[in-house]
Amino acid sequence: MATPSAPTTERTASADTPTPLSRVIAYLRPMGTPLGSVLFAFVVGAIVVVATRGNALLAYESLACGGFGIFCQNGENTALQLSNTLVFTTPLILTGLAVAVAFRAGLFNIGAEGQLVMGAIAAAVVGIKLGTWPALILLPSVLIAGTLAGAAYGGLAGVLKAVTGAHEVVTTIMLNYVALWASRYLIIGGPLQAPGAFNASPPVAAGAQLPRLVPLNNNLLFGLPQSVFTAYTGIFVSLFGAAIYFFIMRRTALGYEITAVGQSQRAARYAGISVRRTIVVTMLISGAFAGLAGAVVLSGLSHSLVDTYFQDTTGFDAIAVSLLGQNTAIGVVLAAILFGALHAGGQVMEADAQISHNLVFVLEALVLFSLAANFLRTFKFRLPAFGRSPTQPAELEAQDVVVGAADEPG
Amino acid sequence: MNALLIILGLFKSPDVYHSTLTYGTLLLLPALGGVISERSGVVNIAMEGMMLTGAFFAVVADLAWHNVWLAVLVAIIAGGFMALIHAVVSIRYHADQIVSGVAINIVAAGLTVFLLNQFYGVQEIGSVAPQFLIPNIKVPVLDAIPFIGPIFFEQNLVVYIAIILLVAINIILFRTRLGLRLRAVGEHPSAADTAGINVYTLRYGAVIASGLLSGLAGAFLSIGLSNTFVPNMTDGRGYIALAAMIFGKWTPLGAFAACLIFGLGQAIYDNTSIIPISPYFLSMLPYILTLVVLAGLVGRSIPPAADGIPYEPGNE
Repeated sequence: MATPSAPTTERTASADTPTPLSRVIAYLRPMGTPLGSVLFAFVVGAIVVVATRGNALLAYESLACGGFGIFCQNGENTALQLSNTLVFTTPLILTGLAVAVAFRAGLFNIGAEGQLVMGAIAAAVVGIKLGTWPALILLPSVLIAGTLAGAAYGGLAGVLKAVTGAHEVVTTIMLNYVALWASRYLIIGGPLQAPGAFNASPPVAAGAQLPRLVPLNNNLLFGLPQSVFTAYTGIFVSLFGAAIYFFIMRRTALGYEITAVGQSQRAARYAGISVRRTIVVTMLISGAFAGLAGAVVLSGLSHSLVDTYFQDTTGFDAIAVSLLGQNTAIGVVLAAILFGALHAGGQVMEADAQISHNLVFVLEALVLFSLAANFLRTFKFRLPAFGRSPTQPAELEAQDVVVGAADEPG
Repeated sequence: MNALLIILGLFKSPDVYHSTLTYGTLLLLPALGGVISERSGVVNIAMEGMMLTGAFFAVVADLAWHNVWLAVLVAIIAGGFMALIHAVVSIRYHADQIVSGVAINIVAAGLTVFLLNQFYGVQEIGSVAPQFLIPNIKVPVLDAIPFIGPIFFEQNLVVYIAIILLVAINIILFRTRLGLRLRAVGEHPSAADTAGINVYTLRYGAVIASGLLSGLAGAFLSIGLSNTFVPNMTDGRGYIALAAMIFGKWTPLGAFAACLIFGLGQAIYDNTSIIPISPYFLSMLPYILTLVVLAGLVGRSIPPAADGIPYEPGNE
């Protein structure tokens, strides 16, 4: 398997003679593995397309067209494509951060989807039941409700892990399905079902909705009615989330504790850090990001709780987003843009190249395989301290820093 | 109250038990796969994906060749191939087994629909004719036993196979040298290695076995219980199987018991349409039950000691 990795020769070269060029390379080196994985995925993806008698070039052109509005064959509107990408990117940033913060603590939050659903449910309840509140109070309440619900749901997995040692991967998978079925129950025959609707809740009050980036009317913008540009201000909430993540990880004692627990629970314990407490707090934060993602989408895009979460993959794409972004704030944002573009592009690919948008999931899995197969050397030892060079690599290697390893806490 | 009587009334007929066994078996096959794989020390959350792949290729092969046995074989191989990827990535390349499992599930969901579109275009995949489905077998004489007969001896062929596999795997795992070695590899690989056991071979075999079993379950789903492929038709059953494996404390018989409990829920729902409880509400129960077990409220469920840890010789 092609395992693209950073050029190791550069490391010694830059250490010996720091030239401007080698400095640039050293700075870009962390991007080597992610970019290599994406390249690997596209190459293998092209082989899959060609092997099934498809036109790989046309597929990727239309994918680029749908994602970034470039290489368009059928006169697609660039601004519209970028708007569509932004719609997909917005929640992906937040769920990506959710998975990333857990990774930093050595936890594998596979339950971002469930936490997102819980966030959406809570946001819907607040947005519907408290609809008479003024927008200035209601909108923040909706977002906070989603955040808290997600945090509680993620925290539940954290408590189970800290108290009973139940593996968070398994518990969050189970919690995903509980949340999915709960959402379906609520809107089909349940208390949130809108009168006359088969499987939807009533829309949240106007004051609970995040506004769009461009006002919703039929004035022409870039040659199209403004109403087709569905991108919404949730992107600012997401970027704010990324800033919070950066702040927590880089500037607070909590961020240090999370990283320490992720590197070695034993060492963290010797340093006086409560591993159990850190696990619970990490999962609370993780769930909060995912819950906020659910609230943002509900408040900015869908407006009512709808029965689409079984098809929604935002919480699972988040795993690829955080790994590709190497669990850094900026990395997660960039990876979320890439996957947002792929999902938006998939729809154009289906229309223009007659190739199912599901190719995007194949590409996503290939990125995961490529990153995972390369893990042992790059991910496993470098993950928690990414961006900073580990001062004692030998010591780190000696410890068991497997992500998701069932270390018995306490 | 009335509804409770209706549900209780169901238990007087053999139908509900028959369905329980059928659905339980559908979950049992991937759950057995999970038991084998995790007992060898490789975490496997990819049964969902391997099952889905099997379901898809069973229909493709059956439609192409009009031969159900060939179709089942293709499904088993397809499931095994997905497992092989998981094995290579997580054993040979020491990849994180959860990431690999997630990737398998994503690629299975994506690839099946992608291929569906490439092979059949926009038109429907079509359905398999009844004579090319996995047959139901009536066991002569025994099926005449009142009540018991319709439950146990008028089942799909795969149900009988699964029960035989259950017994066989239970014996292999706990009564043979191979099983002892497999469990040793999952509990303490370096000790097993020192004793001359090939850790890698056993783990490869175990993971691939889980794929073969899941592939068979996929075929059972698409050309046994159904007659066509629908995108994402496994609908979380691979994850319920995972839950059953944990619920059953990583043992074949325990997993089977859990599968029957989970199957019963589906059976009740299938045999009546007038339950006042939302079926969606009921669908949450297997997962909640598993969480309760995981929380240690009903005895602890502890995975094999080396589950999920890639083995590297000399790295203890």
